Amino acid sequence: MKNLVKIAALAAVLVLALALAVVAGDYGPWYFAWMVGTVMIVLIAVSGAVLFETQAIAASTHPQQ
Amino acid sequence: MINPTIVDLSRLQFALTALYHFQFVPLTLGLSFLLAAMETVYVITGKKIYKDMTLFWGKLFGINFAIGVATGLTMEFEFGTNWSMYSHFVGDVFGTPLAIEGLMAFFMESTFVGLMFFGWDRLSKPAHLAVTYIVALGSNLSALWILIANGFMQDPAGAKFDPTTMRMQFRSFGALVFSPDAQAKFVHTSIAGYVAGAMFVMGISAYYLLRKQHREFALRSFRIAALFGLISTLAVVTLGDALGRMDYLVQPTKLAAMEGLWHSAKGPAAPWKLIAIPNDAKQKDAFSIGIPYVLTPLVAHGWNVTIPGVYALERDARARTISGIKAIIALKTYGTTHDPAALAAFDRHEADMGYGFLAQRYAPHQDLSAITPKEMPGVLAKTARETIPNVFVEFWSFRIMVGLGLAFIVVFAFGAYYSLRNRLDQHPLVLKAAMLAIPLPILACEFGWVTAENGRQPWTVYGWLPTFQSASSHGLGYMIFSLVGFMLLYSLFIAAELYLMFKFARLGPGVHAIPVPPASVAARPLYGQPGYADKSWK
Repeated sequence: MKNLVKIAALAAVLVLALALAVVAGDYGPWYFAWMVGTVMIVLIAVSGAVLFETQAIAASTHPQQ
Repeated sequence: MINPTIVDLSRLQFALTALYHFQFVPLTLGLSFLLAAMETVYVITGKKIYKDMTLFWGKLFGINFAIGVATGLTMEFEFGTNWSMYSHFVGDVFGTPLAIEGLMAFFMESTFVGLMFFGWDRLSKPAHLAVTYIVALGSNLSALWILIANGFMQDPAGAKFDPTTMRMQFRSFGALVFSPDAQAKFVHTSIAGYVAGAMFVMGISAYYLLRKQHREFALRSFRIAALFGLISTLAVVTLGDALGRMDYLVQPTKLAAMEGLWHSAKGPAAPWKLIAIPNDAKQKDAFSIGIPYVLTPLVAHGWNVTIPGVYALERDARARTISGIKAIIALKTYGTTHDPAALAAFDRHEADMGYGFLAQRYAPHQDLSAITPKEMPGVLAKTARETIPNVFVEFWSFRIMVGLGLAFIVVFAFGAYYSLRNRLDQHPLVLKAAMLAIPLPILACEFGWVTAENGRQPWTVYGWLPTFQSASSHGLGYMIFSLVGFMLLYSLFIAAELYLMFKFARLGPGVHAIPVPPASVAARPLYGQPGYADKSWK
C-alpha cells in the first residue's frame, strides 16, 4: 500500500510536470527549464556529497586503495 | 523638457544603486539553493557536519541577505522619486510585478528566513529543510518579479498605449509574465547567481584547504560547490545564448552594439569579433580581430541570415522617426480636439510613437510641428544616431561577461574533477584559482547588467519611451546631495559586508558548530581519519 501511494505521488508529479511543460511550451520554455534545471543542479550537488561519504567509508575500510 | 544634467544624474544614481545592490543579489540567489543542497545531505545522511555546514554558510548568507535587502529597498522608491514621468507612463503595468514582488516574494522570503535561522530546535528535520527550500525559492521569486518588470522595459509585451490617458495600460498579464525576454533574462540571471554562490563556497573552502584548516568541512563544501557550480556555469552559458537570440529578435540595436556591427553581417561567413576597439564618434573600429563563420550561427541560429548593423538600423530609425513625428502630432491634435480623424492618424503611426518622442529633443522648443523642411534632415540624423547605444561599452561589457563565464567552466571543471578523485591536495593551483575567483562571478553579473541596461539606451521602455523624457524634474542640488548620500551610505554597506564576510570566513566553521562530545565525534568514521586534526572545528 505504501509503495502504491509512492507510485501514485510520483505519477502525480509527472503529470504536473508534463502539464507545466505543455503550458510553458506555448509561451517559451525557460521557466520550466529553470525549475527542472534547479532541481537537477541541487540533486547533482547532493549526490556529489553522498558520493564523498561513500568514498570516505571505502577509504577507511580499504585504506590501501 | 527635463534638464539633461538632471537626467544624467538620475541615470547615474540609479546605475550606482543598482550596481551596489547587484553585488549582493547573486550571492543570495546562489547561496540559498546551496544551503538547501547541504541541508538535504544532512537530512539524507544524518551527519552533523552537514548541519554545521548549513549553519556556517547560512551565517554568511544571512549577512549578505540583510545588506542586500537594505540596498534594494531604495531602488523601488527611486522609480517614484527620480523617474516620475516613467512611472506615470508605465506605472499601471510596471508597478504590478514590483508590487507582487514586495507582497509575495519578499514577505515570504523574509518570514521564512527567520524560521530558517531560529527554527533549528523548533522544527523537525524535514520541516526545517522545507523552510530552507522556501527561502531559496522566495529569494529567486524576488528576482523573478524584478526581472519580469525589467523584461517589460526591454520588450514591452502585454501592454498597449492609451491615447486618452497618455499611459501604457495592461493588455495581458500572461503576456507580461511569459514574455520571452523576461523568461530568458530571469533564468540567465538566477543561474548566474548560482555560479556566484558556488564560487564563493568553493573559494573559501579552497582557502581552508590551502591553510590546512577545517579540512573535512572544506572538502565536503568544495565538492558540493564544485558540482553545483559546474552544472550552473554550463547552464548559464547556454541560457546566455538564448538571451542573445532574444536580443537579435527584439532589440537589434543592442545586438549590433554588443557585436560591434557597424555594417550588416551577411551569413554564413560573417566574422564574430573576438576583440575590437569600436570608435563611437567615427562609427568604425580602430582595430578588430574576428573569427569567420561564427557570428551568424551564434546569433541567428541559422546560416544564410543577414544581421543588421548600425548603419542599416539608423536608416530604419530615420524612417520610423518620420512616422513617429506624425504620430505625436496626431496625438497632440487628438488631445485638444478629440477628433476621430486625428485618432485614426495616430493609430496608423502608433508603432513608431517612441521615435517621435525621441525626436522632440532636437525639435525647436521640443515642438515637432515647428520643425522646418530645412531642419528635418538634421533632426532625423540626430535622432537616428541616438537610437544606437554606446558600442564601446556594450561590446566590452558583453565580452568581459562572456570571457569570465567561460573561465568559470575551467575552474569548476578542474575543481569538480579533482574533488571527485579526492586529489585536491595535490593541486594547489586549482585551489588558488578557486580562491582568487571568488569575486569574479559577481563582476561578471555586474558586466551582464551593464550589457543589458546600456544596450537598452536611449529608451527606458524599448521603442516607446526615451530615457530623457522619463526623469523627474528635480533641482541640481537635490540630485547631487542624494547621489553623494547614496554613494557614502552604500559604500558603508559594502565595507560592512566585506568586514563581516572576511571576519566570519577567517573564524571558520568551528565558531558556528554545535559542540559535539569527542566520543560521538570519534564514532563517526570520517572524523577519525588521518588529517582530521582540526581542533577549532570541535
